Amino acid sequence: MAIKETKSVAEMPQGVRMNPWLIGVAAWAFPGAGHFLLGRWVRGLIISGVVCCMFVVGMLFGGHLFGLGGQETGSSRLLQLPPTIANLGTGLIYLICWASNSGFSDAAEYAKLATFEYGNTFLLVAGLLNYLAMLDAFDIAVGRKP
Amino acid sequence: MVMILFAALVSVVFGMVARDTGRERLFYGLKVFAEFIGIGIALAWVLYFLPF
Repeated sequence: MAIKETKSVAEMPQGVRMNPWLIGVAAWAFPGAGHFLLGRWVRGLIISGVVCCMFVVGMLFGGHLFGLGGQETGSSRLLQLPPTIANLGTGLIYLICWASNSGFSDAAEYAKLATFEYGNTFLLVAGLLNYLAMLDAFDIAVGRKP
Repeated sequence: MVMILFAALVSVVFGMVARDTGRERLFYGLKVFAEFIGIGIALAWVLYFLPF
C-alpha cells in the first residue's frame, strides 16, 4: 500500500485541519503523533522510531532519568532541573516511567556500568529530539513550513 | 560504535526537520552525520594528548 504524505497544510481539507496547539501537545505526548495527525506518516514513523529507539537504547545502557523528587537540596536540586526538562521531552513515556518508578534509580549497580553516561546522554537527547519534532509539527500546522 | 549509533539517530531527525525536499534532507542528514563523526574523532585525539 502506497503511503502518500500531505504536501502542505493549505492543501488539507478544512475539516482535517486541527488546532496547532493540539498537534503540539500530541507531538510532545507521543513521539511522531503530531506528524501522524498532519498526515505526514513517513516523517512521523521515522521520528517516532528514532526517539523510541534512543530511549530504549538509553535504558538498556543503564541510563537514569532525572526528576525533581530526589533528596537534593538547594543548588543541587536546581541542577536537576535542566536534565529533567530534557527527559520530560519524551512525554508520556517519561510520565509512565515516573508513575511506575522505573528508570529513576541511581543505585551503584547502574552507576558502575561502563555505559551509564552513554545511557544518560541517549535519554536526554531522545527528549530534546522530541521537542525538535514537536516544534516541526507545530510549524507545519500553522503553515510556517511546507 | 555508540558514537556512530548516536550520530546516525540524531542526524536522521535533524535531516527530517531541517529541510524541505527529500534530496535536501538526505544530504543535510549525511552532512550532519559526517560532522558528528569527524568532530568526535578530532575531539578524541585532542583529549588523548591532554595530560589532565
